[in-house]
Amino acid sequence: MSYILQSIFNGLLAGCIYALFAMGLTMVYRVLNFVNFAHGELIMWGAYLLYLFMGDPFHFPLYVALIPALGFTILLGLGMDWIVFKPLRRTNRLTLLIAALGISFFLRNGAQLFWGAELRTYGFEIKRGWRLFHISMTANQMAIILATLGCIIIVYLLLYRSIIGKAMRAVSDNLELARVTGINAKKTIRFTWIISSALACVGGILLALDTNLQPGMGMINLVKAFAAILLGGVGNVWGALWGGIFIGLAENLSVLFISTGYKDSIAFGMMVLLLLLRPRVLYGSQE
Amino acid sequence: MTESFLEVRDVYSGYGKIEVLHGVSLTVAPKEIVCVIGPNGSGKSTLLKTIVGLIQPTRGFIQFDGSEISHKEPEENVELGIAYIPQGKNIFPSLTVMENLEMGGISLKDSRKARNAIQEIWERYPILQKRRKIKAGSLSGGEKQVLAMARASILQPRLILLDEPSIGLAPKVIDEMYHHINRMNREGIPLLIVEQNARKALRLAHRAYVLDLGRNRLEDTGEGLLNNEEVQHLYLGR
Repeated sequence: MSYILQSIFNGLLAGCIYALFAMGLTMVYRVLNFVNFAHGELIMWGAYLLYLFMGDPFHFPLYVALIPALGFTILLGLGMDWIVFKPLRRTNRLTLLIAALGISFFLRNGAQLFWGAELRTYGFEIKRGWRLFHISMTANQMAIILATLGCIIIVYLLLYRSIIGKAMRAVSDNLELARVTGINAKKTIRFTWIISSALACVGGILLALDTNLQPGMGMINLVKAFAAILLGGVGNVWGALWGGIFIGLAENLSVLFISTGYKDSIAFGMMVLLLLLRPRVLYGSQE
Repeated sequence: MTESFLEVRDVYSGYGKIEVLHGVSLTVAPKEIVCVIGPNGSGKSTLLKTIVGLIQPTRGFIQFDGSEISHKEPEENVELGIAYIPQGKNIFPSLTVMENLEMGGISLKDSRKARNAIQEIWERYPILQKRRKIKAGSLSGGEKQVLAMARASILQPRLILLDEPSIGLAPKVIDEMYHHINRMNREGIPLLIVEQNARKALRLAHRAYVLDLGRNRLEDTGEGLLNNEEVQHLYLGR
């Protein structure tokens, strides 16, 4: 029994992180109409940037290092849009997809050049967790849940209470109409990249806190975020949130039946199934 | 001829390699309602999109209030005071009625002005106030059209381009729509209206044009076209 509870808890934990990735990915999709396959690299760079500012020569404490890590990840997101995606905006989706893959390779290999391919950690000692209703949880894991809740609340407030967030929803509804209404589309697109990159950075850091850092961490989690947005309906921010949590739960509950080594295949399997059964999900919820 | 507020002269335009307008000209004088009618595919919507800047003309000249706007972006034209209400999808469906109106005033520097304008809209269109918290996508067709016009009015436009305001609406609702259009015009705003169901629009219009296959075909007063035998036969189905 406690084993099942523990699996559910672990699933929620992983799901929180996938949800953060998926929400950012789906936002960019809704506004710009393409899947940013370099989103995983924002996740990975976010995590490594924190590692950078916590290590030589900075030695900032975690909460201080968070600020430049967030800032530079956002700059990276804005930069990839400005340098690569913006000039390609009027081309077709395939061009954007290939370009995103190109950026992804570039950034992944860049990180590998700096930090090497070996696993790294932030170097917090692992404390024994508390036990609560037969579930063991560590301080890191509590932080993951709290940080995710915080992010969800911030995203909600931005989208539904701030004028720029409302403009972002308007642009994702209808870009042409937004332009003739007087909404500054360029500003709104920049705002979308900022939110998306910040969510990737926070998610990446939480993931690295729970597991470790590795240049390939972005790619594998991008796939899971992608599965989550397919599940939640492409372009639907709250759908992405539930999709992420669902994938996390499914993966961790699957461990009850199959070997842990195959855990990653759950998200892939779901994605393949979804695309086979409902190929139209890729065209989004706009129709 | 009277001085023109909007002048479109010999404009060619289209989508990519497909040219839709092959030299269209028209004028709108201050305080005038001008109607453009024509069959499907005659380029009516393309004409409005070209004026507002969503499509760039390949040749020709567009002038608004004395300055050339042929190659301006839509955002700049909105700033100049041109409001464009597209056909069909002219509201933000996932935003509430209130949020739709807030978007209408987003380019105003003074947010108090936007709030006042929304207050005025509540008085003018009580139905919108009643529904301010619901998603605009779930409004009826007529309410959507009213919302679109109300949103455009927030910026106090100096010219309104209306694309098929009556499409898909019940006759009674169309009457109401034209009542609102007429009121806007009486307040001094010139309108350029594109319509396929032409009778109602022609009755209201000071002047009207018939467009056919991307070219000017006829031009007259609204009354004149309404009584024109060819127009009656071809476009009014009589």
